[in-house]
Amino acid sequence: MKILRTHSADEFINWSGSLRFIPRSQVWPATEQAVCVYVRDAAARGRKIRVAGSGHSSSPIVQTPDILMSMRDHHGLIDYDLHSHRAMVGAGTVLHDLGSILHNVGLGMQNLGDVDTQTIAGVISTGTHGSGRKLQNISATLIGVRAITGNAEVVDWSVEQHPDLINAARVSMGLLGIFTAVRLQLEPTYRLRRREYCARTEDCLAHLDELADAHRNFDFYWYPRRDEVKIRTLNPPEVPPPSLPFARCIKEQEGFSHEIIARERELKFEELEYFLPADAGPECFREVRQRILQRHRKHVGWRVLYRLIARDDAFLSPVHGRDSVAISVHQNASLPYQEYFDDIEFIVRAYDGRPHWGKKHSLRAEQLAALYPRWDDFIKLRRELDPNGVFLPEPMAQLLGEE
Amino acid sequence: MLKTIGSKVWAIPGGHMPLLSSGAEPRDTSRDELCVLNAGHFDAHLQLTIYYEDREPVGPYPLKVVAQRVRHVRFNDLIDPHALPLDTPYAVLVVADHPVVVQFTRRDTSQAANAIATTLAYPG
Repeated sequence: MKILRTHSADEFINWSGSLRFIPRSQVWPATEQAVCVYVRDAAARGRKIRVAGSGHSSSPIVQTPDILMSMRDHHGLIDYDLHSHRAMVGAGTVLHDLGSILHNVGLGMQNLGDVDTQTIAGVISTGTHGSGRKLQNISATLIGVRAITGNAEVVDWSVEQHPDLINAARVSMGLLGIFTAVRLQLEPTYRLRRREYCARTEDCLAHLDELADAHRNFDFYWYPRRDEVKIRTLNPPEVPPPSLPFARCIKEQEGFSHEIIARERELKFEELEYFLPADAGPECFREVRQRILQRHRKHVGWRVLYRLIARDDAFLSPVHGRDSVAISVHQNASLPYQEYFDDIEFIVRAYDGRPHWGKKHSLRAEQLAALYPRWDDFIKLRRELDPNGVFLPEPMAQLLGEE
Repeated sequence: MLKTIGSKVWAIPGGHMPLLSSGAEPRDTSRDELCVLNAGHFDAHLQLTIYYEDREPVGPYPLKVVAQRVRHVRFNDLIDPHALPLDTPYAVLVVADHPVVVQFTRRDTSQAANAIATTLAYPG
């Protein structure tokens, strides 16, 4: 039986095109045994393995000089329970496929981000999120995981038996082990109605609290070349639309959650996103808006996205311990972005901001450790589960201060 | 009966979006605007190419104007394939698959006593 397949010397290019490297080999093991063989071999040779999902991240979290692994053959539904609304799925299942797979058995994910092209293990591992005052990020729905540690040991962790390990694994960027399957807390399949509105920026800001309270999902885009917002809401179809006299409805759409939450994004962009304490969100946004109007409008046409995420307990979750607002700025992938992102990052950091692990940011271990109360606990677990640093090539070692 | 009006190719050499604005936005945002009339009975698909003084042309920027409709588009808002810089001279070549009429308008609110200028584009 052929269990090791390699495709050497291909360049890896992430979705936006700003992250490029040539690993020694790219592999897609079909079985857990094959993953174990790779891990054991890498440990013996002092080589480094990283797992790439769909390549949507633009920070160097998948970069490795040695082995870049895909879990694309670990795909689909493994088991499910309609009583508890739980299911186990392959780690490499792409969200777009997962939505249909779960819907076909009567289940749906609690929330999604703005796109559904990533793998389920990828969005869990990077803290990817949608928007809603009461909705947590996707990793919070992880209640069990099957993984291969840096010792090539196959482990099964559950939130009931291993709460600390699950809280460490939820946003772990592949540093604790290679996920082969994940168990998710889901909901019975459900429908949502999307409504989008145009409004003046000041009107939206004046009604932020009521917008956040009134809608299951709420976020807004701010357009720097118009100083105007698009308010986006999602609610169960049976909920009558709240009155928004200050806004003009421009879109209505209804469907099952997996059909309606994520949007298509073909135009490539770079992004910087920071998570702030929710109370600081409006003031920080005003400062970001003012800075863009004063300094960056000449070259920046892309919108700014303002989202809400409920707190969680994951050790390295950007919303650990605090209800949060996420502010993200974008620039066309074909245009310079560094000066713009650096300037905005300076502002959001002053509000105790934490960066999205999968997007552009400049923080290093010392700064990150100060932002995360469970940082040392995560580092300790990482050392136990990957003592040889198989999952820790140079960029990640620097990020964690584990050189 | 009028069969078609307009042209499939238009040029606008004098693009330049003012950097500063005054007044309430988005109503008073300084801008260059493309106004397209499609009086025909088929949807028109436009491709815009932007030319600069000191760099290679950028495009195509795709736009659709449905049959028997007019569409106003701010150049300030275009981001696909990427945003045009403000305060920078540029020119536009518009190529459509059906005849359309193209008008160009600049609204300059750099000062409170704001100005507006408009002209028909040059048909090819």
